[in-house]
Amino acid sequence: MYWNKSYECMPREKLQELQLERLKRMVNRIYHDVPFYRNKFQEKGLLPEDVKSLEDLQKLPFTTKVDLRDNYPYGLFTVPLEQIVRIHASSGTTGKPTVVGYTRNDISMWSELMARCLVAAGAGPHSVIQNAYGYGLFTGGLGVHYGAERLGASIIPISGGNTAKQIMIMQDFGSTVLTCTPSYAIYLAEVLAEAGIDPASLKIQAGIFGAEPWSENIRKDIEKKLKIKAYDIYGLSEIMGPGVAIECECQDGLHVWEDHFIPEIIDPVTLKVLPYGQQGELVITTITKEGIPILRYRTRDITTIKPEPCACGRTHLRISRLQGRTDDMLIIRGVNVFPTQIESVLLEIGEVEPHYQLVVRRDGSLDTLEIKVELSEALFSDRISNLENLEKRIRDRIQSTIGISAKVALVEPKSLPRSEGKSQRVVDLRKI
Amino acid sequence: MIRQVSIFIENHEGRLNHILKILAENKINIRSLNIADATDFGIVRLILQETEKGIEVLKKNDIITTVTPVLAAEISDDPGGLSTLVDALTQAKINIVYAYSFLPKKTDNAIIIIRVDDEVQQKAIETLEKVAKINLLDRETLLLK
Repeated sequence: MYWNKSYECMPREKLQELQLERLKRMVNRIYHDVPFYRNKFQEKGLLPEDVKSLEDLQKLPFTTKVDLRDNYPYGLFTVPLEQIVRIHASSGTTGKPTVVGYTRNDISMWSELMARCLVAAGAGPHSVIQNAYGYGLFTGGLGVHYGAERLGASIIPISGGNTAKQIMIMQDFGSTVLTCTPSYAIYLAEVLAEAGIDPASLKIQAGIFGAEPWSENIRKDIEKKLKIKAYDIYGLSEIMGPGVAIECECQDGLHVWEDHFIPEIIDPVTLKVLPYGQQGELVITTITKEGIPILRYRTRDITTIKPEPCACGRTHLRISRLQGRTDDMLIIRGVNVFPTQIESVLLEIGEVEPHYQLVVRRDGSLDTLEIKVELSEALFSDRISNLENLEKRIRDRIQSTIGISAKVALVEPKSLPRSEGKSQRVVDLRKI
Repeated sequence: MIRQVSIFIENHEGRLNHILKILAENKINIRSLNIADATDFGIVRLILQETEKGIEVLKKNDIITTVTPVLAAEISDDPGGLSTLVDALTQAKINIVYAYSFLPKKTDNAIIIIRVDDEVQQKAIETLEKVAKINLLDRETLLLK
């Protein structure tokens, strides 16, 4: 089943013609409308006319999360705010979030692509979609929501959390599709089992899970426990939000909607483009977005491009399941967490540069974050309650700035590893 | 007023021993020990025979320490002895943050170490000495062997 067969199954030659035409138009627009891109082109001695083929994309400059932060909040928008109808934001590497804006056409494009994703995962107008992605600045909730409305399915905008209610609604409303993070899906399955509810008694048939990395084993686990088919979805707010890529019924790689995005894989060290099939960092160019078109965005996600034709009939390239990150970003319960954000919080509280370590564990099905902080003499007090208050202050601040609950443990000075490498800052004990 | 050494330690095996060994190697005698524990950490409170030297060697070993002023009150080692002291502070509306006993060598009386908030310390001293007629020991007397 397809939502838009003529585009989803477009012969590759035609698809590439379309991409080139759209890429040229996009490059022209950002060169003329965004000083940031014009400067970058000029530094490299490039003009928009230098883009004559899709291969020429490789000559063009990259965009990074730091560029978005440096142009915070609206510096990379190509249209005035009166044409922006929605603003989303995701975690930045420090205190400030990464901000993206959508025109009416952008929302329409996003809805279209999300509708394609839902159909690829077996949904249709008859589906009842229980959307347990968070609604808010995070793109997950509203992204799925608009796609479901475009498709004509019945969307239940329950948002994340409140597990008892999720289960009641799943039972009473007859939800057929569940959308949430994979770890929340496992959690729901466990709660169902504890409550003695047989998933076979529910109408749920499929789940569309994303916003955090997960493995084939977790898929099997979810499929067995919930008695559904589980599909991987990929997206990021800088590019659009959920729906940049989706698995089809073959469940073997995620189709990237190439009529709107051009994916490349680069070596994160040499920055050279790698041939199809080789693992590297995923780079995406948006070729139709109006609000904030992004040229060669370095996603930091590690994957490979699978060029082989897919049995489903879609001609769009597939990327394999994400293999990891090239930076130290952690995804904890669907929330992006950068160690540098934690560092900013600790700097605000302490008087000296903090030494800290993040320990991520998977307790049952839920990820937990522990922040070990070396106590300094300046913050030491002879009273237990003062130290416990200090832990609480850090915890509350992390909760309010990053939106994640963490356990804070004060440790002795010089007890944490000192090596320069960022890897020492993060101990990820999760097995995914 | 007695200068107590307060030390931050993580609450797991070996940490207390680490501190005790540093003091032993430097031949610093511990005259009293009290441990307060939270979930992940604890505070070890020591009265040392040689306070300054003790702090110096602990800091040299990257151990977080602070000096806390405490009172050493001498009370009769009889039923009701401690109650007289607590009564006096209660009537003066002075809160005891923590207290523990000290094993004296030169007296048959009992000695209680008391920590009150800094801002009411002077008031506590006056209350105990003048109202309750309790003897507060200075450092030399307390640490007599």
